[in-house]
Amino acid sequence: MAPDAEESGILKISKHVSYWRRNLKTYLPHHYTGTDSNRMLLAFFILSALDLLGDLDAALTDEERHEYVEWVYNCQIPDGGFRPSPGTYVGTARNQQNAVWDPAHIPGTFFSLLVLVLLGDDLKRVKRKETLIWLNRMQRPDGSFGETIGQAGRVEGGNDTRFGYMATGIRWILRGDIEGHVDDVPDIDVDKFVQCVRDSETYDGGISEAPFHEAHAGFACCAVSALALLDRLPVQTSQQKDQRLRGITDLPSTLHWLVSRQTLTLEEGEEDEGEQNGDANPSKGAQSQQDLSMVGMNGRCNKIADTCYAYWVCAPLDVLGHLHLVDTQRIRLWLLDMTQHFIGGFGKLPGDPPDIYHSYLGLFTLAMFGEPRLKEADAALCISKAAKERIESLPWRKAIVEQKI
Amino acid sequence: MPRFYHDDPAWSDVTPIPQLESGQVLAGISYTAEYSEAMSYLRAVMAANEYSTRVLDLTEHIISLNPAHYTVWLYRAQTLSALNRNLREEIKWLNPTALKHLKNYQIWHHRQTIIDRLGSCDGEQEFVEQMLEKDAKNYHVWSYRQWVVRRFGLFGDEGERKWCEGMMERDVRNNSVWNHRFFVVFGGLKGEVEEGLLKRELEYAQDAVRKAPQNECPWNYIRGVLRQAKKPMSTVKEFAKEFADLEKPDEVRSTHALDLLADIYEEEKKNDEAKTALDLLANKYDPIRAKYWEYRARSLDSAAVEA
Repeated sequence: MAPDAEESGILKISKHVSYWRRNLKTYLPHHYTGTDSNRMLLAFFILSALDLLGDLDAALTDEERHEYVEWVYNCQIPDGGFRPSPGTYVGTARNQQNAVWDPAHIPGTFFSLLVLVLLGDDLKRVKRKETLIWLNRMQRPDGSFGETIGQAGRVEGGNDTRFGYMATGIRWILRGDIEGHVDDVPDIDVDKFVQCVRDSETYDGGISEAPFHEAHAGFACCAVSALALLDRLPVQTSQQKDQRLRGITDLPSTLHWLVSRQTLTLEEGEEDEGEQNGDANPSKGAQSQQDLSMVGMNGRCNKIADTCYAYWVCAPLDVLGHLHLVDTQRIRLWLLDMTQHFIGGFGKLPGDPPDIYHSYLGLFTLAMFGEPRLKEADAALCISKAAKERIESLPWRKAIVEQKI
Repeated sequence: MPRFYHDDPAWSDVTPIPQLESGQVLAGISYTAEYSEAMSYLRAVMAANEYSTRVLDLTEHIISLNPAHYTVWLYRAQTLSALNRNLREEIKWLNPTALKHLKNYQIWHHRQTIIDRLGSCDGEQEFVEQMLEKDAKNYHVWSYRQWVVRRFGLFGDEGERKWCEGMMERDVRNNSVWNHRFFVVFGGLKGEVEEGLLKRELEYAQDAVRKAPQNECPWNYIRGVLRQAKKPMSTVKEFAKEFADLEKPDEVRSTHALDLLADIYEEEKKNDEAKTALDLLANKYDPIRAKYWEYRARSLDSAAVEA
């Protein structure tokens, strides 16, 4: 699996560019059908990867850019929010009675907004007010957010931090981090959501889907990023304390849990070695100098390393200002030498073919580590810093955010 | 065999609605003709709010092609309710479907809706066990099991804890089982943790450590139990020293014991000892986390300066 010495530790930029251009320009193979109801997520990965690679402008003609923007706006729901793919759209047959089967969708809306920004749109045609009203309806009495609104106004979907993260992302894009009413639309209940995140902290310092569920890096990442977008992370020593409720109640334990996700179990089949037979001498393990050159990341205790967890673990560390607690060079080497694929992109495990999800998160992690030929990354929004700055520079948004001062 | 509707007399009254997109599309998928057509018929029935037996068949068909389609599941649940269908039959169909699509999440949301309506969890624990035999760390399955315990008030049930112990015997390194035990023991607990309970839980985890000292799960469990009971980490100091004694730095049997000892020494304001433990971790026993152990050692210094 590991390449020859002269090829070791190299990001094959041109291969990645052609991998992502192919995803942009040609139809994806039918085995992506399982993601049919989340195409906006795939669209986001494709455009954002090309942005990180600095190839987006070259990859798109003005006409293509215009048509893609139209495609996204065609996914906007008249009452606010976006559907995540055209799959539920019934055209002129849409009416009050059947609208519930073609609902606005939290991930669909979050990724539509990001895709529009990546395409250079100013979001002026977004039904901002309607979307913010809808966002309030997406919050349950317990503070969590769901995926869509179903029959009888029921909020459907899980109540974990994934939807909460994307809801706070929509709020951040459309109204910044100011609290209270904006344009007569009330804010979401920020305190209740923060409480929800606090309740899902686990006994081992991690964060889970819901109270007492198992700690999982994906939920930890979403929780930490959501708190960042709400400006509710623990106060840094340099910051002034205030009375607002904040998340991550035991930062040292959370950092401990995050750094514990580094593992030398990089390939399937290694998982139960030794330990089960009572062989428990840690120094007898695989920690020779050579093996230590590569370090993988898992998402839960005693699981195998997987490309995507490099992002799910390192992003919250970065957002919390503690990325320096892991050796990014060793994680980088693992990604480049073990899961980077020779045709471009990254697979889930060593030797796996690339897929859009792992390819994006692998690439993004390298950008977050400061890979020289990639754009700088913003961990909480999972986009380039330049794309984030473009959102912050939108005139209508500046006008809202400046009310704060 | 692919299944089609356009030449099926049972569907001749329906005009399918094709996917409406044109020009340059993002993330377009080369659907199979079968999926593409089935979705066109689904759009047509959803537009008409049709709830019928043939709609149940159609949703079943689409779920077999794309089980992650959340709208199809919601439409199916509504159809079952409109037709007042026997929900036990639905569970019978769901079981093999779930076993076929192990990683799918929507199935569990649907199952929860159905079992909640049925108001009985008969057979659920057995089914969960069947799922776990295929993938003992399946996150959705464990989450669902927790929902069953809460919904049907199984906290006081000795059986659930004993079942956990059986799962633990199969794999003491399965963190999902440890987490489930913590949930079963403490999730329904009101008020203080009694001494007897504390003792039982610590002993259980300590036995597991003795079987595999380098297994992270029981060490985390011990910390969690102590925090829950508001006891200092030093409660288990002698136990930790069985696996990592600073006087015998060449005989450390567990990095987690050394880590815990560092915390205990810090708690006892013995910074030199804490530092020795952290140095051993950084330089000898757990160098992949060297940067973290070094940070912890530096934090000891700055805490001492502030004091």
